[in-house]
Amino acid sequence: MKKERLSEAVVTHIVLILVSFIFFFPVLWLVLASFSASGSIYDYDGFFPKSYSLGTYLKLFTDTQMYDYPSWLRNTLFVAVFSCVLSTVLVILTAYTMSRFRFKMRKPLMKTTLVLSMFPSFMGMTAVYLIMINFNLINNLWSLILVYSAGAPMGYLVQKGYFDTISNSIYEAARIDGASNPVIFWKVTMPLSKPILVYTALTSFAWPWSDFILPNLLLKNRDLWTVAVGLTHLGETEFSRFAAGAIFIAVPIVILYFSLSGFLVAGVSDGAVKQ
Amino acid sequence: MKGLKNAFALLLISSLGVCMTACGSDNAKAAADSANGEVITLRILENDTAKQEGYLDELLSAFNEAYKDKGIQAVDANMEEYSNLAENGPYGYGPDVLYQANDKLMAYAEDKHILALNRDDFECASLIPEEAWDAFTIAVDGKQYTCAIPVNVQEPMLFYRKDKLPEDWESQWDEDGDKTPDFLQNWNSLYQYSQQIVETSDGQNYGLVASCKDLYMMAQFDFSYGGYVFGKDENGLTNAEDVGFGKGDAAKGMLGLRQFAGLMNEECIDDSISQNRYAKVADGTYFCSISTPDTYVLFHDRLADVYKAEGSSDEEADQKATENLGMVELPRKMPADGDLSKKGDTVDTVVMGGVNGYGISAYTEHREACIEFVNFATSKEMIKRRAEILGVAPTRSDVAQEMGGTTSMIFESLNAGHISLMPSVKAVDQIWDPMGTLLSDVAKDAFREKKGETVKYADEASMQEALDKASKSIYDAIYTLSN
Amino acid sequence: MNSRNIKTKCSYVIMGLGQFLYGQRIKGMLYMSVLALYLWYLFTVGFGDMAGFFTLGTVEGDPWLGTKGDDSIIMLLRGILAFLILISVIVFYLSNIKDVKNTEKLVEQGKPVPGFLASLMLFVDKKFYVVALFLPVAGVALFNVLPIIFMILIAFTNYGGDIVPPKLVDWIGFGNFIQIFSLSGIKDTFLKILRWNVIWAVCATTLNYFGGLFLALLLNKKCVRGKTFWRAFPILAYAVPGFITLLGFKFMFSYGGPINYYLKVMGLAPVGFLDIDAGWKARIIGLLVNAWISIPTSMLLATGILSNMNNELYEAASLDGAGRWKQFTKLTLPFVVFSTTPTLITSFVGNFNNFGVFYFLRGGLYLDDYFLASDTDLLINWLYNLSIDNNYYGIGAAVSLIIFVITSVISLVTYVNSSAFKKEDTFR
Repeated sequence: MKKERLSEAVVTHIVLILVSFIFFFPVLWLVLASFSASGSIYDYDGFFPKSYSLGTYLKLFTDTQMYDYPSWLRNTLFVAVFSCVLSTVLVILTAYTMSRFRFKMRKPLMKTTLVLSMFPSFMGMTAVYLIMINFNLINNLWSLILVYSAGAPMGYLVQKGYFDTISNSIYEAARIDGASNPVIFWKVTMPLSKPILVYTALTSFAWPWSDFILPNLLLKNRDLWTVAVGLTHLGETEFSRFAAGAIFIAVPIVILYFSLSGFLVAGVSDGAVKQ
Repeated sequence: MKGLKNAFALLLISSLGVCMTACGSDNAKAAADSANGEVITLRILENDTAKQEGYLDELLSAFNEAYKDKGIQAVDANMEEYSNLAENGPYGYGPDVLYQANDKLMAYAEDKHILALNRDDFECASLIPEEAWDAFTIAVDGKQYTCAIPVNVQEPMLFYRKDKLPEDWESQWDEDGDKTPDFLQNWNSLYQYSQQIVETSDGQNYGLVASCKDLYMMAQFDFSYGGYVFGKDENGLTNAEDVGFGKGDAAKGMLGLRQFAGLMNEECIDDSISQNRYAKVADGTYFCSISTPDTYVLFHDRLADVYKAEGSSDEEADQKATENLGMVELPRKMPADGDLSKKGDTVDTVVMGGVNGYGISAYTEHREACIEFVNFATSKEMIKRRAEILGVAPTRSDVAQEMGGTTSMIFESLNAGHISLMPSVKAVDQIWDPMGTLLSDVAKDAFREKKGETVKYADEASMQEALDKASKSIYDAIYTLSN
Repeated sequence: MNSRNIKTKCSYVIMGLGQFLYGQRIKGMLYMSVLALYLWYLFTVGFGDMAGFFTLGTVEGDPWLGTKGDDSIIMLLRGILAFLILISVIVFYLSNIKDVKNTEKLVEQGKPVPGFLASLMLFVDKKFYVVALFLPVAGVALFNVLPIIFMILIAFTNYGGDIVPPKLVDWIGFGNFIQIFSLSGIKDTFLKILRWNVIWAVCATTLNYFGGLFLALLLNKKCVRGKTFWRAFPILAYAVPGFITLLGFKFMFSYGGPINYYLKVMGLAPVGFLDIDAGWKARIIGLLVNAWISIPTSMLLATGILSNMNNELYEAASLDGAGRWKQFTKLTLPFVVFSTTPTLITSFVGNFNNFGVFYFLRGGLYLDDYFLASDTDLLINWLYNLSIDNNYYGIGAAVSLIIFVITSVISLVTYVNSSAFKKEDTFR
């Protein structure tokens, strides 16, 4: 019996190593590419650059005449932080309301949101662009924040699932104590929903870091670009710079993940179970 | 729920208010600008290379210095080099003056997004050949208009390392004794030389390796044999209904391409070569490759890196790279029957080219100032600086003659009809993908043969059929869905 | 009695006047100012916008002459906006009538009419869902619903090709749909791509879903040490933006890339993983690369679900002598599937409309038997080729409307019939 357990553990770990390798290798390759001395991926022996240097990172932050990476980074951070805050508020409000209250339009609303999310999003981009022109918000980072946070409530299902698990009796007790609904939301629900708050904030923070279609449409000035847009415009021979820029986007997200991973798994689990 | 909708209504109404005030303030600002005669600011869109190499800065500061008293100021539009004027211009986000290739500019001209200009307003007009002007001419309601000012000509060039020429080239590869290696003058010879390199290096090194899927680089295998992009109607205007890639003996030429692809490696089929050509020519793996003149800097820098790795100092490496990097026009002669392996009758090579120029946005509020700027930017001095810094070939004959060398060669080719310019119509957008697919299929076919798989283009008939099919699909893309 | 009735009737004519007369001054004023604002809007731009919706412009502009014409597309957008505003004002008006009737009832019963603050507080408490959903719904309406209506309407215009501003666009009814189904090239391409698209969506969803589940189960095993450490690797993969990963993979599989480099070193012939002949090779690579990108998220989700599962169930099952496989199919799977139906639907739709994978891996190929598409393109890629690359916005919108109808019917039916939708309160 014990021997069987041991061999099972060995096999499991071998599989784990294999899986981790599959996930890690392309990332590692990207990291190595960012340290390549020549800057191009075609001076490699197979996967590995012929020589290494820190030059790319230096260039990334100092050579800003054409590719102003530091200000792209600032822009992205600005957009990510504000749309993270706004999206989280909107999603949590939506999810809580859809889970806790029963009203006539509820099921139709739920069905409508589902159907709306089926629409191929880039087909609506022209309209978003025209709306922003009418609002005079082209070349303004707030236009991005607006669109990101306005669209966020469409993805409320996971959060709603989480709130579905909070027992009604808690609310009824509070109700009997005379608390009004806003008070209940603030004093009772909020403290209970830390994990899902973290999950929501994290995912909505990560989205602006990788989206390039919308900012490309709404931001015309080069110094207003976000990192993702800027990277797609890098010259074709600048692969190292591309890789280095990509690594820098990944770092804050990974750090956030680790510092919050405890909350996160709890959050997702409680949410998903009862969707 | 009703309350919910109330709320929705309120938001819509308030947002509309925002919208209207926003639009209002925009118009008001523009009106104020032109009224009280303050400094006029022009937004100039240049290409990335001009920016990177510092030419744009030089141009702008020279202009601003010269026009300080006249109250005109030019600034960098600070936008992406291919940003779409049709999308930005009408709403006030576009540049005032833009520098782009003729196909792009004239696509704007078709919808009147750039202004029609009077040639006589420009001092350079008489020095520019008709061929270049043609690229910027459009017919509207039966009348012809010029919509942009030509600045320089682009065509694919052959890049190679002079220090990698065979030592005995003068005795072995210069039959006509004109002190230029035959393989830079004649495609047959280039083919033979490539074959020799592949054979002697046991497949480690190659002669010419170029992007076979890139129509711009490979059009000579079609155009030299009578093919063309779009035909002309009786008035000499581009007629996009006549797609001509399969006309004349184009099929023969395409078989030549297939033949040459067999001497390259598979990297010529996908995007690999367009990115690694700089490094591979520099390290000598490939003897030469095809690219546009504006990529000269990239070849040069990569070559300097190679010399540095061999132990040269920075300065020395830079000098050596300048000395040894050859950039010449594609070989002038192609075999008349398309068969590169044996010598026989030849035809003149006709490559695809483009003319870049300045256009003025139809949405600018300062037409006169823009004309002043374009005049300044196309002055002899500035065009010369442009050619020196960027290595491009100007359309101004005086500068071309003064510069000499490759620059004047390109200029002459344009005059002699060796360069077939991209048609200046919107429909050009729709040729690249279908032709790119066909070209990469033709190149791939050479490797199918090597691997013993079924080949698709063994003879002229099947090649012709494929060309006709591609032309048909381009026609369909342009016309089937238009109303 | 009579005077009350007249006061109420006042609100039928002028929104808020009744409330004002009943003594609810502030509320009445607010209602009235909304009405005033709307009337002002209607007479300044509203009527024009509504008319513009039908005409889509009558004056063609000429930038060369500096004449400003009508911009059909902006007019369409503003027209939709005008009708949305009209609808919402009507709804607002109805709520005003309901409100004034409530007030009338209160007065009838001799109860005091609540002041503004009091009724506001009451509203916020009793109709908390209205207050909470106000901003989300407004945002979604403006930035999601409006663009969708816009695109749907574009499908019925001749926008695209040569007809782009400053030229005037016109309504053409079902012209685009007739064109799609009458041209054999387009219809064949549509059906071919649709078939592949369905296969792709099913395979990709299954692969990602079970891949994530497998990983989660693996990490959930008791014998695994350092779970956080192992979980880190998929998360690293998640942190790199998708388009960067896709470009990286494209390079790896290219002829000049590392995989072919090693093949050549080993003396083998290079393989065209993504080239023109690739066909199923490219499709499978697309599936795998997509899995690499998506599995980390589905792993996280599955990990969460599993940690919530009742371990006693397993213990009971193993006492019953159920094998591993049986435990998986009889306990784990039903539980997980039940909990994740909405996620599954979202993921299916996400994969059905997965634009990035084949755009980045194999864009720009137009194969022989396809109209402006290649054999790996999904409907959404084809849509992109039609509407963005070749400027056929109207046709593109019509195709997207057809896709939209297909996907929403499938997902709506699944969702409404899922236990997650029917029995939301199971676990309360």
